Amino acid sequence: MSELDVKVVPDVETAGETVLKLEHLTMQFGGVIAVNDFSMHIDKGEIVALIGPNGAGKTTAFNCVTSVYQPTKGKIFFHGQEIGSDKLHMTPDKVTAQGIARTFQNIRLFSGMTVFENIMTAMHLRRKSNLFTQVLHLNAEEEKANRQKAWKLLETVGLTDVAEEMATSLPYGKQRLLEIARALATDPTLLLLDEPAAGMNPQETDELGEFIVRIKKEFDLTVFMIEHHMNLVMDISDRIYVLDFGKPIANGTPEEVQQNPVVIAAYLGSEEEVEEA
Amino acid sequence: MMKKEKKPALITWIIVAVIYAAVFVAEQVLPPTSMLFTVLKKGATYALVAVSMNLLNGFTGIFSLGQAGFMMIGAYVYGIFTIPVESRPVVYQYYDGGLIQFTVPVVVALVLAGLAAAFFAFLIGLPVLRLKSDYLAIATLGFAEIMRVLIQWNNMGPLTNGSNMLRLYPSFNDFNIKDASGNVTVYLSTLVPFLIAGVCIGLIVLLLNSGYGRALKSIRDDEIAAEAMGINLAHHKRLAFCISSFFAGVGGAMLAMYQTTVQAKFFTTAMTYEILLIVVIGGVGSVTGSVLSSFLFVAASEWWLRFLDEKQMIGNFEVPLLRNGFRLVVFSIIIMVVVLFFRKGIMGTKELPDLFRRKRKEAAK
Repeated sequence: MSELDVKVVPDVETAGETVLKLEHLTMQFGGVIAVNDFSMHIDKGEIVALIGPNGAGKTTAFNCVTSVYQPTKGKIFFHGQEIGSDKLHMTPDKVTAQGIARTFQNIRLFSGMTVFENIMTAMHLRRKSNLFTQVLHLNAEEEKANRQKAWKLLETVGLTDVAEEMATSLPYGKQRLLEIARALATDPTLLLLDEPAAGMNPQETDELGEFIVRIKKEFDLTVFMIEHHMNLVMDISDRIYVLDFGKPIANGTPEEVQQNPVVIAAYLGSEEEVEEA
Repeated sequence: MMKKEKKPALITWIIVAVIYAAVFVAEQVLPPTSMLFTVLKKGATYALVAVSMNLLNGFTGIFSLGQAGFMMIGAYVYGIFTIPVESRPVVYQYYDGGLIQFTVPVVVALVLAGLAAAFFAFLIGLPVLRLKSDYLAIATLGFAEIMRVLIQWNNMGPLTNGSNMLRLYPSFNDFNIKDASGNVTVYLSTLVPFLIAGVCIGLIVLLLNSGYGRALKSIRDDEIAAEAMGINLAHHKRLAFCISSFFAGVGGAMLAMYQTTVQAKFFTTAMTYEILLIVVIGGVGSVTGSVLSSFLFVAASEWWLRFLDEKQMIGNFEVPLLRNGFRLVVFSIIIMVVVLFFRKGIMGTKELPDLFRRKRKEAAK
């Protein structure tokens, strides 16, 4: 199947309360259309996965949602409010302030800080105190509350024993967990996970799945994730969107997507192509 | 909950207190012409400026080379507002006594010096902080040069005295307490710069240890991640730039007091490089390192290596190469050695309390 054969499959309405909505999102870099006419939505409390072959435009879609990129066309709504379009000037920090937190495909921890400080930094956004009260340390109560909250988050992800270690000295899997904890520290309602299981072994991946379901309940989250580990995706997702060559080629429950011949073709190549080869 | 270690902080406080006490005692005991005091005064001044530069380059990751420019603004503002009214006709002899005909107290002038530098930093920051790395460095360097030329401009004369020097304003020596006959009873001319620098560096340390400090460090470590964690890059970079310039301005005012005269041509790019050097030698990202290396740098350049500039005889043998300017050659070699073999500087990113923490941990093993 070549790029031109890919047909855009429209989004299917669901009954829940919509948290995030993408309308005909298109992101073009010069001659490359990384995301092409992508419409989707996520309901409150769902875990929605975005899958697709490498280079399908999944991370680009994430970057549009978090305003790292300004979309070429289309609109993005969060709780009914527009947070991205070709005209709206948004920055990633404003999106985070609205309640969308993310992790990164290639881990981006603050390398010069300890595990604990990484979490504390993410709370800067929600602080009520200003520069002067902070410099003169007149915000002791807030600081104490934040430290306690950071400690609780570390307990949630099981990293209390390494709290004072440098963040980048942790093993890979723990760095991923720390990234999630750091994202949670910004008090999000929607959590975007960009390949959270990348580089994890099957057992770690299973644990991660349970962990995502657990934090979703505990922090009352909606989760949107990009993932290549199909077992994980099929286990925990409520719905799945599939991108290929930037276009949405399928969506539905894990069962529906698994049976979809278009998806199978995108991942494995269609039967004719296999025969030709 | 984690327990905060109290002991390293306590030891640090004791060390700082001992240093201040030693400076005070030394000043009363030793002759005031001793080279030690020159080093201490200039060292304290450079320490403040170096720490302010480290705040920007080492902690926020903004590579700016405008430090000499902001120091100059601070020095001029201090001079302009503190020259006694009766001395103004002498100082501003070519400009009819100058424009400003009032003085403000020294402390107020110091704050004004900082505020003026911060104000210019704010204006410059609007366009310049959009640039990254080398481009930002070049732009700030250019700004410093423009300011230097602008201050010397004849039409600015009534305010800045053009290319003539400002003088006769209160200097460090005016902090000495004198009795009625003019004899000094208590020497404070070294302690006061130590106090000014100490308070300013203390404020910077408090800032670095606050939530804002963490936000700045996060920008240094990873801009994209910092922004994704809700940190407004433009706002925080501007903040760091203005605060750094504020303290560079205060440092400039201190330098004016140290030198007793101010002249724009003194604040060259070479001065910025000197301070950058101090920061690098001390350790990019360490306040303690900047302070230590400031004193070492000043001591080496003003005192310990002075002999290299003069003819030296060992018995009847005249040491070759030693002549005016050779000091700088030796200095350059030292710098190359540091950059090649001690890239992390004296302290790396460690601070004074960390040293005791490390020792304690090792002792516990």
